[in-house]
Amino acid sequence: MLLPFPSVPEPRPIRGILAILSAPILVGAMTFVALQLGANATTVGFAYLILILGISINGGFAAGLVGSLAATLCFNYFFLPPVRTWTISDPANWVALASLLIASLVASRLVVQARRQAENAEARRNEIEALYGLSIDLFAATNRVGALGEAATRALSNVGATGGGLILFADGPFSQNVISWIGNREDEVEDLAAGVGRHGQTLEFPAGGGRDVYLPLAMGGKMIGVLVARGSHATKRALESVAALVALAVERERFVEESSHLQALRESDALKTSLLRAVSHDLSTPLTAIGMQVERLQKQLEHGDLADTVADLAEQTARLRRRIENLLAMARLEAGDFVPRPEPTPAADLFRAVREHLPLVEQNHPLHIEVDDDSPEVYADPSLTLEVLVNLVENAHRASPPNSPIELLAHRHPFDADRVRLEVLDRGPGIAERASESDTARRGLGLEIARSFAAANGGQVTLANRPGGGAIARVDLPAAVLPAMVEAPQA
Amino acid sequence: MTARILVVDDDASIRSSLAQQLGEQGYGVLLATDGADGGRVFDAQLPDLVVTDLAMPNADGFSMIGHVRASGATPIVVLSVRGGDADKVRALDLGADDFVVKPFSTPELLARIRAQLRRTGTRAQLDFPDLVIDVERRRVTQASRELHLTPTEFAILELLARKAGRPVTFDEIIAVVWKGAPGTTNDAVRVHVGALRRKIEPDPSNPKYLVTEPWVGYRFIAEPIG
Repeated sequence: MLLPFPSVPEPRPIRGILAILSAPILVGAMTFVALQLGANATTVGFAYLILILGISINGGFAAGLVGSLAATLCFNYFFLPPVRTWTISDPANWVALASLLIASLVASRLVVQARRQAENAEARRNEIEALYGLSIDLFAATNRVGALGEAATRALSNVGATGGGLILFADGPFSQNVISWIGNREDEVEDLAAGVGRHGQTLEFPAGGGRDVYLPLAMGGKMIGVLVARGSHATKRALESVAALVALAVERERFVEESSHLQALRESDALKTSLLRAVSHDLSTPLTAIGMQVERLQKQLEHGDLADTVADLAEQTARLRRRIENLLAMARLEAGDFVPRPEPTPAADLFRAVREHLPLVEQNHPLHIEVDDDSPEVYADPSLTLEVLVNLVENAHRASPPNSPIELLAHRHPFDADRVRLEVLDRGPGIAERASESDTARRGLGLEIARSFAAANGGQVTLANRPGGGAIARVDLPAAVLPAMVEAPQA
Repeated sequence: MTARILVVDDDASIRSSLAQQLGEQGYGVLLATDGADGGRVFDAQLPDLVVTDLAMPNADGFSMIGHVRASGATPIVVLSVRGGDADKVRALDLGADDFVVKPFSTPELLARIRAQLRRTGTRAQLDFPDLVIDVERRRVTQASRELHLTPTEFAILELLARKAGRPVTFDEIIAVVWKGAPGTTNDAVRVHVGALRRKIEPDPSNPKYLVTEPWVGYRFIAEPIG
């Protein structure tokens, strides 16, 4: 059950005039009673004071002021000697008269102030209670996505609005989604909401029976929408508090939506990861055993056709093994199960490892390796970078005519001193004749794997035609920054 | 006397392949299916070298390493899987001497086993093809030309060459060469190894003596003479 918001107190002029008119009448009545009872001046003075307090509490300061003046006049005329004259014989009585006037004025002022504060405090308390009720309604009620519009509608009826609704910005103030709306929505509403969203200021103007208020909804310095309350009598402060709560609720709903999405993603990632581990183990073990048996066969058959067949078998097994590993590593990278671990790695070490991994390539194509003297070390995951190069060299091998050399170069990036460029050059048909750069069908999986692994290391692979024929595959990677030399302590 | 090698792996096909290959090289072969079984065979037979897988049911490779180290300095070669770099380093820290990554090639594994069974001891002169390290006089000659190394470079080279064929971790290099001086980082080691390489490698594009073991440290790959 929501508590209603208190309205702004309305000025009531008729009641004020009545109070002011009744003040001298009440003073007169009391003077008549005091004369009948024959009360002395002191008693009457205090009685007047109490009467003025009563008039001020009920009628406000203006009535108190009129009452004070009337009481001062009556006090002088009827009770200060010489009585029934406007003159005062004893100068001490001037003090008494002035004291009565000042005391009654001050007292009526204080009483009115105290009453106003009490009223304000009461209104504030009601507002806070109403806001508290609203916040529970907005936040504790449901995790259901879409309940926001209903909650905004309840919040608006709660501030006494007869119309209005919640407008959220999809992408800036000019693309608006109306989440909920009550009553007519004229064309200017969209413009007004956009203006409020752009300037972030509350817009308030009288309309119909109350006022229309456009409240900006801000979250983290960003405008996320506008709450429109039409015909509401609630204070601006209360309305702005409601808007702040609605903004929080909008944010919360977004988080709820995102977290349920993330949860689903996490679950599917966990499934992928466990599947990958199982597949990885189940593929690696038999492949290792097959590889070892093929190696044995190869050793037993040193010459002849069968030996060539087995050598080919060995090479194909090794390729299959690498390919499967590459694919699994790629899938693990994507699943977030495997994070690259960069390490300063000399290009020469990488090239040497390429040579060891591809003995058959070297039998058919001389590998020329060249590392510039001033080439920095590569800052990348060594095993992934090795696979980038192995895949690019295999592609070059397949594209090259027999016995044409394949070159591996390493040097500082020509335009970016913080990067290292590794290059694989061949004398094959080049790029244009083979396929367009985006055509992965003919370049095969190798290029895709190389690109994916290079990207995981903060690098990239580009292809170009080589002057004089052939292709260049360039791998640009971050350079390692090594500290200055620190000599070891000598014994 | 032929060396006897204990192979601990839960996969039967790998066990039998290794048994054949090692047998052909003239080694005596003992087999075990997991760490617990391996521990029993080790205690009963006291092999000269242990080759162990890491991921196994019951007792894994790490407990096998602990068991072997508790009773002495028998060399241990670990079979690790791709991407299991943390395991590799943990195994070395626990006292394993070397590792090969599955799927490995047989010649690679045999070379590692040979390096482990070879004892360089504290010889005063270390001979490699085209490279002689005279520890006593702190001189390095390459193809009869003397190389000028800084004391730090010489200390690193001596450490790596004494353990030729075996991996030497960054921690070990810092402990031996820098005497564990606080604040010495792997990068400091890399800088000196880079300088050392430029001096001893005849073709820096194709290293012949010193290679990087990613995430672990370095390995001196030339085979000692004599």
